[in-house]
Amino acid sequence: MEYFIQQLINGLTLGGIYALIALGYTMVYGIIQLINFAHGEFFAAGGYMGVILLSFLSANGYLATYPWLCLSGAIILSMAYCSLLATGVEKIAYKPLRKSSRLSVLLSALGMSIFIQNGLMLTQGVYDKAYPTIFSQGGFDFGNIKVSYMQIVMLLITILLLILLNLLVFKTRIGKAMRATAQDKTMSSLVGIKSDRIISLTFIIGASLAAAAGIMVGMYYGSVGYTMGFVPGIKAFAAAVLGGIGNITGAMIGGFLIGMIEIFGAGYISSEYKDVFAFIILIGVLYFMPTGIMGENIDDTRV
Amino acid sequence: MKFKKLKLFILTIITAIFISSAAFAETLKIGSMGPLTGPYAADGNDIANGVRTAIAVIEDEGGIEGFDKIELFTEDTACDPRQAVAAANKLINNKAIGVIGAYCSSATIPASEVLAEEDVIMITPASTNEKVTERGLKYMFRMCGRDDDQSKAAVKFLTYKKVKTIFIIDDKTTYSQGLAEKVAQGCEAVGIKVILHDHVNQGDKDFSAVLTKVKTKKPDALYMSLQNSATGSLMAIQAKRNGIEAIMLAQDAVYHPQFIEIGKDATEGVYLTFGFMDAETEAYKKFIAKFKVITGTDKPGSYSAYAYDSAITLLKAIKETGGTDPAKIKEAMLKMNYKGASKDISFKENGDSGSSYIIFKVENKAFKNYWDPETGKLFSETK
Repeated sequence: MEYFIQQLINGLTLGGIYALIALGYTMVYGIIQLINFAHGEFFAAGGYMGVILLSFLSANGYLATYPWLCLSGAIILSMAYCSLLATGVEKIAYKPLRKSSRLSVLLSALGMSIFIQNGLMLTQGVYDKAYPTIFSQGGFDFGNIKVSYMQIVMLLITILLLILLNLLVFKTRIGKAMRATAQDKTMSSLVGIKSDRIISLTFIIGASLAAAAGIMVGMYYGSVGYTMGFVPGIKAFAAAVLGGIGNITGAMIGGFLIGMIEIFGAGYISSEYKDVFAFIILIGVLYFMPTGIMGENIDDTRV
Repeated sequence: MKFKKLKLFILTIITAIFISSAAFAETLKIGSMGPLTGPYAADGNDIANGVRTAIAVIEDEGGIEGFDKIELFTEDTACDPRQAVAAANKLINNKAIGVIGAYCSSATIPASEVLAEEDVIMITPASTNEKVTERGLKYMFRMCGRDDDQSKAAVKFLTYKKVKTIFIIDDKTTYSQGLAEKVAQGCEAVGIKVILHDHVNQGDKDFSAVLTKVKTKKPDALYMSLQNSATGSLMAIQAKRNGIEAIMLAQDAVYHPQFIEIGKDATEGVYLTFGFMDAETEAYKKFIAKFKVITGTDKPGSYSAYAYDSAITLLKAIKETGGTDPAKIKEAMLKMNYKGASKDISFKENGDSGSSYIIFKVENKAFKNYWDPETGKLFSETK
């Protein structure tokens, strides 16, 4: 039982990360039907921005005196940085191709992913960068079950961001505009919604969530590397598909599910095949529900 | 008329100078291979830097007679068999005489087959899988040790520590899985129970599931056979966080300054197998001095010194033979016996140069010589 609970906690932590990244995929897909392969790179860029900021703060001694203030500052700043990065990527690589076929945008996205990854390598070096360890230590012990502070913080931040996103999309005017653009771009611009601006905004939100995930991964696991975006990117993409691509709630559920399946597959069967289990479930679900768990009509996409 | 003749004369002289300089000015081309991109880029750059250092040292000593320049081609294998073959072909097209590399055994083996067809000499500074030198290739050499020797050293150490049960984790590469299997066999042979031999994927960051498993099984030792030092740090950090108390033993790919830099306190007390290197020798000091000039750091990656020695050996052999005939270079290499930066260098007929594995321990954020499997004693006792 203890073993089960410990693995459950592990699964929740990992799933939260996947959920945050998956949201970016699903939102962008929902609004312009583009699978943004550069999304994993926003996650990596966020992680790097976090390590740069936190190392700077730690070198100046602020980190030791105001740890939580520094942490929130770093998270917000790296989210802001990734928003800028995403706007740039969208302007350069996607906007000129809005009228062309979906395939060219997809290739452009792949190219952007390679470009950003190598950009990170050239500017930040090939060696992994270590995060300050101040947050990664300490935790609660319940008998044999260990929950580290960082796991709790990560889960809390994830849930907070998910709630904020839901409020934004379903309760505000901007959210309404986003949903309208997702349904019909031409019609929504006819009623006065600036669809280009809404599309940029969607990229920004997705990228900033990925940046938050990147910085939390860096703090929890202790380091970031320039290739870190690839594997979680693929997993999060799978999570978005599993949940029903284009659907926000679906992406959250998909993220947590993929995380859980991976951890339980590794914990109870073999960690050698943990990715296989995740993808078997994905194939199984898609076989019976081709649009994913929460997916509605295939041609009626939502943000 | 006079002017024309003079012009012609000057022209002839100029052309003659060009032709003669082209005839005498020969460039010696050597290659270096390793993962310069991808998850193992750190190690590939370590190797390339080692080779660059060697070339700088040789050039400082007056270069090689008959060649006025040594040109280095660095190719990227990305630790991918296909890309390694492409890199090998590229080096052949560039007419490289010898190649230093690659890093991952899974890249070295296919690349060496291609190089062998053209009789290009290959010296691997870092591929420890036994197969590398066991395929009867004529011009394949190895500067580092072999995994069968490494696993023996590891098992000897585990017996010394009176370990009864062990949990083994590898990340499924030719090298890491091969080594882990050797250690598992070795352990069974001396009566250490292998509780489980589990695998993780390359590029994984989260090991919480497998480490929770380790924790519940309570082994005496945890053997980490990973392809990358950063992965090693991640595993060490998470193992500490999970409260695993087993002895942790890792291998040569984890042995890298980066392992401690990232893992920080979590790496304290971790044991590793790596070749013995004497930092007090003249050769090593010479290497470090030049390495610092070239890279700006005096903390070389674990395989930089091996790459340096490989390149020095190759260049020395070329110098001795005064030409680029691979058969003669091989002969010269086999005759060599000198003190290198990483170890005493002398090759066997199959291209191996012997292993010198010892056990290191991380103490106060540095790798310390800990135990010598040859004598079965702690280094602190023998000194």
